[in-house]
Amino acid sequence: MKDKTKRLTRNALLTAAALIIFVVEAQIPIPVPIPGVKLGLANVITVYAMFLCGPLDTFAILLCRIILGSIFCGQMMSFLYSLCGGVLCYVVMLAMRRIVNENQIWVCSVIGAAAHNIGQISAAMAVLKTPAILSYLPVLLISGIITGAFTGFCAQFVVHRMKKINR
Amino acid sequence: MIKTRYWVIGIAAVLVISVIAVLLMQRDGSADMTAEIYLDSECIKTIDLSEVYEPYSFTVEGQYGKNVISVERGKIRVSDADCPDRVCVNQGWQSTGELPIVCLPHRMVIKLVPNNPDDADDVDGVIQ
Repeated sequence: MKDKTKRLTRNALLTAAALIIFVVEAQIPIPVPIPGVKLGLANVITVYAMFLCGPLDTFAILLCRIILGSIFCGQMMSFLYSLCGGVLCYVVMLAMRRIVNENQIWVCSVIGAAAHNIGQISAAMAVLKTPAILSYLPVLLISGIITGAFTGFCAQFVVHRMKKINR
Repeated sequence: MIKTRYWVIGIAAVLVISVIAVLLMQRDGSADMTAEIYLDSECIKTIDLSEVYEPYSFTVEGQYGKNVISVERGKIRVSDADCPDRVCVNQGWQSTGELPIVCLPHRMVIKLVPNNPDDADDVDGVIQ
C-alpha cells in the first residue's frame, strides 16, 4: 500500500513538473519560423522517468503531459502531432534504454527527439495529406538533434544526482 | 554496449546529411512559381505568382480559423492569422518551392510549384 502511494505521488509530481516545463516553454518565442520546431524541454522528464521509473509509469506520465498540455495551451490541433511524436519517441527510447549505459543517456534522448520529429511529420502528412511537408524533415532533424542533446544532458545529470539520493 | 564514440559518429552523420539536404533544397529556386493553397488537403485556390502585377491580400477561412494571405509578384506570405502559434505568419515571404508555408492549427498549406514543368511533359504537349 505504501509503495503504491509513493509511486502515485512520484508519478503525479513528475507529470506536474513536465506540465510546468511544457506550459512555460510554450511561452518562449522560437527564433526560427518553422512549424514544429521547439525546445522540447519537457522531454527531460520523459528521459528521467524512462531510466528511473520504468516503462509503464513513463508512458502514463507522457500521456498525461500531452493531454493536459494540449488542454492548457489551448491547442487541440497540436495534440495529434504531439501524440504521434511522443508515442514514437517513447517506443524508440524504450528500445534504446537497454542498449545504452549510464553515460549515454543523452544519446537515447537525441534518438528519441529524432523519432519525435519523424512521428510529428508523419502525423502532419496524414492530417494535411500533403507529402511536401516531408521537406521539413531535415530541418526538424537538425533542431531535434541539437535540442535532444541538450535535454539529454540535462536528464543525464538529473538521473545521476537522483541515483545518489535514492541510494 | 556501443561505445559513445560510435553514437557520436552516427548522430553527426545524420546531422551532416540533414544539413546537406537543407542546402540542396535551397538551391532549386525557379522564378516562375504557382502557389497552391490547400485547406484540409483540398486545393482551394491556385495563383500564378509570375502574373501578379498588383499586390493584394485575401482571407482564407476554414472551419478552424482564418488566414490572411498576401501576394506580390513572385512571392506569397501569410500576413495575418488567428491561430495560436502564428508560425505561418512568421514564416514570412516565400518565393521558392523549398519549404511550404504550413499553418498546422488551421490545416492550411501553401505550396509553391514551378510553372514550367520538366522536359518530359513538354513532349506530351507536342503530340497533342
